[in-house]
Amino acid sequence: MTQSAQSQSQQSPVMDIVRNYGIHLVLAVLIVVTAILSPAFLTANNISNMLLQAAPLGIVVIGQVPVILVRGLDLSVASVMATAAVVATCFSGQDTDALPVFIVAISIGLATGLVNGLLITKRNVSPFLATLATMTLLQGMRFAYTQGAPSGNVPPIYRVLGSQTFFGVPYNLMILVVLAAFFSILLHKTTYGRRVYLTGGNPVMARLVGIHADRITIASYVISGGLAALAGLIYSGFVGIVDNWVGRGFELDSIVAAVMGGVALSGGRGSIVGGLFGAAILVVVFNAVLMIGLPIEFQIIIKGAVIIVAAAFYVRKTI
Amino acid sequence: MTSVASIFTFLTKRRGGLLTVIGLIFVLTLFGVIVSDKFGTYSNAVNILEQSTPLAIVSLGQTLVIITGGIDLSIGSMVSLASVLLSGLTAGDPVMMYVAIVTILVLGGLVGIINAGASIYLRVHPLIVTLGTGAILQGITLLYTQTPIGKMPKGFDELAYGRVLGLPLGAVFTIVVFVVTAVFLRKVPLGRYIYATGDDAVGAQLMGLPRRKVLFVAYGFCGMMAAVASIFLVARLGAGQPYTGQNFTLTSITPVVVGGTLLSGGRGGVIGTLMGVYLVSLLNNLLNFLSLSTHYQLIVQGLIVIIAVSVYVENKRKV
Repeated sequence: MTQSAQSQSQQSPVMDIVRNYGIHLVLAVLIVVTAILSPAFLTANNISNMLLQAAPLGIVVIGQVPVILVRGLDLSVASVMATAAVVATCFSGQDTDALPVFIVAISIGLATGLVNGLLITKRNVSPFLATLATMTLLQGMRFAYTQGAPSGNVPPIYRVLGSQTFFGVPYNLMILVVLAAFFSILLHKTTYGRRVYLTGGNPVMARLVGIHADRITIASYVISGGLAALAGLIYSGFVGIVDNWVGRGFELDSIVAAVMGGVALSGGRGSIVGGLFGAAILVVVFNAVLMIGLPIEFQIIIKGAVIIVAAAFYVRKTI
Repeated sequence: MTSVASIFTFLTKRRGGLLTVIGLIFVLTLFGVIVSDKFGTYSNAVNILEQSTPLAIVSLGQTLVIITGGIDLSIGSMVSLASVLLSGLTAGDPVMMYVAIVTILVLGGLVGIINAGASIYLRVHPLIVTLGTGAILQGITLLYTQTPIGKMPKGFDELAYGRVLGLPLGAVFTIVVFVVTAVFLRKVPLGRYIYATGDDAVGAQLMGLPRRKVLFVAYGFCGMMAAVASIFLVARLGAGQPYTGQNFTLTSITPVVVGGTLLSGGRGGVIGTLMGVYLVSLLNNLLNFLSLSTHYQLIVQGLIVIIAVSVYVENKRKV
């Protein structure tokens, strides 16, 4: 592996730079081009708006990254988000209930992650199928519980966290930054983090050096479930009105963001910061489509094209 | 005694899943007949068969793709696009109808070939490729129309409600294509190569089997089947709708998995899928009779997938 990486960098140093910093370049070019095309793009108002939107997606991406690192993917995140949002409206809607809401929602997220992890490690189910099943299950339970139309209020403190700013800096962005820092340190500076990379990068080696790969994998899904629930709570505060589809599309967007940010679906490569850059690109692209005045359908089309191109860009030459 | 035991082992190991599914269909029917006197009637049986046609056809294509070790997540968007194109191009004109049908069949096959091509030449996992093309197709569909569009000539609904020997036309068509495909998979060399490629892609290529051709055929067939399913859907609904296929992407995977085809590829078959389709349709019908809302169908569907994947153990782990 190192050998091929070396030979690659010897072949083309330019390509190496593109490979390492491509995502930053793309983001920069995107921002400049959109700013030229639309004067309203780089206004304080619009930037603040984009940052507000970026946080929930970013939080989900932070969870998605360790899962992809261990060669998985988590399709249940959007369903967990919506369930957490529904939970947020189930109590009195007062701030006194903010803590119970938090505990119940996060527990659901963690439990979903645990089920995903157990199915994948103990029953050898493919991550796609396992998380698809829990996604459907949660969706059904949510619908049955709310009878299709959730009602009730989100506790005001979640509204503040999800949609207010502190001198122009959204509260939810602060949460995102703290989480990103915490999980980056966890992945890059702790034994757990190294085990995640080794489990995903080389499962045989991981087993030979005595890593309990199953535990590492399960832990990754549990983290993803918990963060998705948190993102759901914050997002419910952002949109204010909860329906059964809060967070719809986040499962794919979070995977797209991670892949764009250089997190390899084959496992073992990538970082949270990379994934967050991917999320930033998605948010800017979505915003740019609206600012330039294209029909909103182009958001979907561009997203589809981008994911294929990004995945092809990062394909390892040696496979 | 030993011979009985060995027969039992053979049945449970080789065909255990399929027998379980057939047994479940039997038990559910019995249960339905006991619960409601309208359940066991001829008209309800016809109803179930009529409703299951589009799902069966879509799942057939999905089965072939999954046997190759891939997956097609663009199938739902393909159904949506084909359905709006069919009724939109036809616009009530009987001559244009044939042009429209040929157009969507060719388009379906072409999209499948693009999916296969992208995953072969860009070396991107089919999951990501079809996720991307699915988003692109959905975007194009929405650019084309946001509401139900066009109409079909008189008598087109004959396809959905017509009878052959007392059985619904669609159900007879379904059984015929399933049997033909089953024979193709077992008896024709190319069909057997599909299994070989899915079981061990590298090995198959070393043996000199035409891996690319296999993938082009499987994905092309899958795309074309999505177009065929849309014909039956439009016949039932009267006009194409931009979101009509949305659910098929994931619901087409459930019967395949329930029928014993492993997501890791190389195992399973289309007859299992057909039984899976009937099981799912029967369950949904039964839930209607128990006057449980459609919300519970999701819970049940999630549970079936979890149970099914616990019965069949995947032989290798994949994304």
